[in-house]
Amino acid sequence: MIRNRKSVLKLLAAVSVAGIAAGMAVTASAQEKITITFANWAAAEGTTKPGIEKVIADFEAANPDIDIVSEAISFSEIARQLVLRARSGNPPDVAQIAGNDTVLLGSTGALEPLDSYVSDELAANLKSGADAGLRDKDGSLFAFPWNQSPAGFWYNKKIMEQAGLDPENPPRTIDELNEALAAIKSSQPDVIPLAIDTTNRPFALSSNWPWMQSFGAVPVGEGATGAESEEMTAYLNWMREIAQAGYIDPGRRIGEFRPLAAQGNVAFIWDQVLLKGVMQAASGMSDEEFYETWGVTTLPVGGGKATTFEGGHQLIMFSASKNKEAAWKFIEYLATSPDAIANYTTSVNSSLPSIKSTGNAELDEVLSAPVFKAFSEEIIPTLAPQPYGPEFAAAATAVMAGVQEAVTGTKPIDEIAASIQQQLPQ
Amino acid sequence: MTADVITTNARARPRARREPWLDWMVLPTLIVMAVVVGYPVVYTILLSVQDYNLLDFTPANYVGAQNYAKLAADSVFWQSLLNTAIYTFGSVGIAALLGLVLALLTENLGGARFRAVRTLLLMPWAVPFVVVAFLFRYMYLQNGGIINAVLLWAGIINDPVPWLNSAMLALPAVMVANIWAMAPFFFLLVSAALSAIPNEVIESARVDRAGTWGMIWHIKLPFLRNPLLISSLLMVISNFNDFAKIWAMTQGGPGYSTSTLVIYVYRLAFESFEFGYASAVGVIWLVMLMALAWLYMRALRMEKR
Repeated sequence: MIRNRKSVLKLLAAVSVAGIAAGMAVTASAQEKITITFANWAAAEGTTKPGIEKVIADFEAANPDIDIVSEAISFSEIARQLVLRARSGNPPDVAQIAGNDTVLLGSTGALEPLDSYVSDELAANLKSGADAGLRDKDGSLFAFPWNQSPAGFWYNKKIMEQAGLDPENPPRTIDELNEALAAIKSSQPDVIPLAIDTTNRPFALSSNWPWMQSFGAVPVGEGATGAESEEMTAYLNWMREIAQAGYIDPGRRIGEFRPLAAQGNVAFIWDQVLLKGVMQAASGMSDEEFYETWGVTTLPVGGGKATTFEGGHQLIMFSASKNKEAAWKFIEYLATSPDAIANYTTSVNSSLPSIKSTGNAELDEVLSAPVFKAFSEEIIPTLAPQPYGPEFAAAATAVMAGVQEAVTGTKPIDEIAASIQQQLPQ
Repeated sequence: MTADVITTNARARPRARREPWLDWMVLPTLIVMAVVVGYPVVYTILLSVQDYNLLDFTPANYVGAQNYAKLAADSVFWQSLLNTAIYTFGSVGIAALLGLVLALLTENLGGARFRAVRTLLLMPWAVPFVVVAFLFRYMYLQNGGIINAVLLWAGIINDPVPWLNSAMLALPAVMVANIWAMAPFFFLLVSAALSAIPNEVIESARVDRAGTWGMIWHIKLPFLRNPLLISSLLMVISNFNDFAKIWAMTQGGPGYSTSTLVIYVYRLAFESFEFGYASAVGVIWLVMLMALAWLYMRALRMEKR
């Protein structure tokens, strides 16, 4: 077809020009597209990965000029990595964070204050107390509440019934709980009567904090009773008693109890709202079967009061982000879009949105399910802020090491309490 | 001829004397070492005399020996140091003994049988450390762990034993996992050393009617002394730094019962972000490792002689 060398050269030249033009067009389009990096553990966990990937894809489809690069980092690693990345000057634009880690990151000063991005309408739609603990000393909002996931006292009605207990009347006091634990242990020796996280990590202190408060103990922070107080030793003594009686299984992370609970091998479990979704995913239980088996209520009380901790997740934006408007658009979408709430927050993450009204009737019906209702009306009002910050992280190691010594060793409780006190940040 | 040799030696000696202490040819190696080893070490030493917290974006403060003074009064540091010593020397000592016994027991097995046994005995060495840790963690589970299940089934225990959740049992339990993973290394090394013993020596001992114990004690063990010493020192250094197994099994708990120096440094640096104080612990740890490395080098030199 091509007759001579001249024609070949002409063709090559034409192809080259077309190629260069196409390349320039692609480059120009790539330059117009904004890339937002999103560090999160939702993409690192099997149960939440499909949900967050769908939400990201939906956001990208609705915002063709923004590309989201999801960086999957495990929950236990994310704070460490974010601090190190912020120190070395290459943080992501947006990150998922929770609990003490949120305040730790906030204390670095590397986060973008979000007040100017939050519209009046959005501020008015935020649930009361959703932003508690997310403001610095100057009142500036350093993290946006993505969802709420406080812990509740879950009880297995079938196990209670087999133990001769009233399944509709879960224990309300520590004494009632002790009686119930004894009845369960003697009637069903293979069942773990009470599942609580006794690992040594800041999350475990957050999770155990309400139990301490139930005895009136406040190890650190404002109004601290200290580790050697009567209240704290009462708590440590109780932990030792229930451990020695075989009512708890020390050393397990709360996540390790969830499959056991799904199999019907745990009577009571102190866990977040997400437990329902995890158990249903693991056991294939329908909603009806779930509600026949499980109920949730507030923590039994000792000498103190019933409280809970906020295990929900927050979203942060780093000051170093070059695309702050796009980053905020993504944060707002994750926390408030009905699609994101339906496909991630209430479904795979099994948590509550941080906004009052989603503006979606179907979603409102989902949120009126018994578990969500129990959390919203009964448990969330008992939310008590914890003294998060760098000192809380240091205290966590000392306090949880002491709790572990109490539940696994024979050292006198007074000595353990003194040792905790010595290790607490002064 | 003799005169020539003498002349050559006489010429060689002054040349040897003129050899520079630092050859230009080693400079690239030295530069790489300075960057890869020297910089982190020097920087760690510098950090150890500063109050430096990663969460605090303000510049670090020079505090002199304050971190070291704090360390002297830190009970967790001393417990971690003691745990490190027990974990390291206990694991290496028992694993070396086990490896030696296994090598002596399988020494005379020949052919395919020996190869099969050796492969089987070496398998734990091939398993990645993190896998070993999780394997044992699940075997040790108080409820549902195979160890408790077997012991309960055999009637040896009446209640499940909290292997990793008892402040008394956790360290020995972690050491068992470590010994299981490390013993094949000693087995391999001792097997190789046994096969290197000259046949003449063994034959002579047999002619002299040496018994089994006499043969092991007076003939084989002297030959195995140096390889065992060197490999033990190597393993001591390696175990001193062991992080993966302990972290995956207990994270240093319960309490501080399995916390070693490396676990403590990790917690200080990456949970409390106290880089200054963590560096001070790191410097002490480095000094100890250097002492062990010096012993190792000395042992190597002794073997060459």
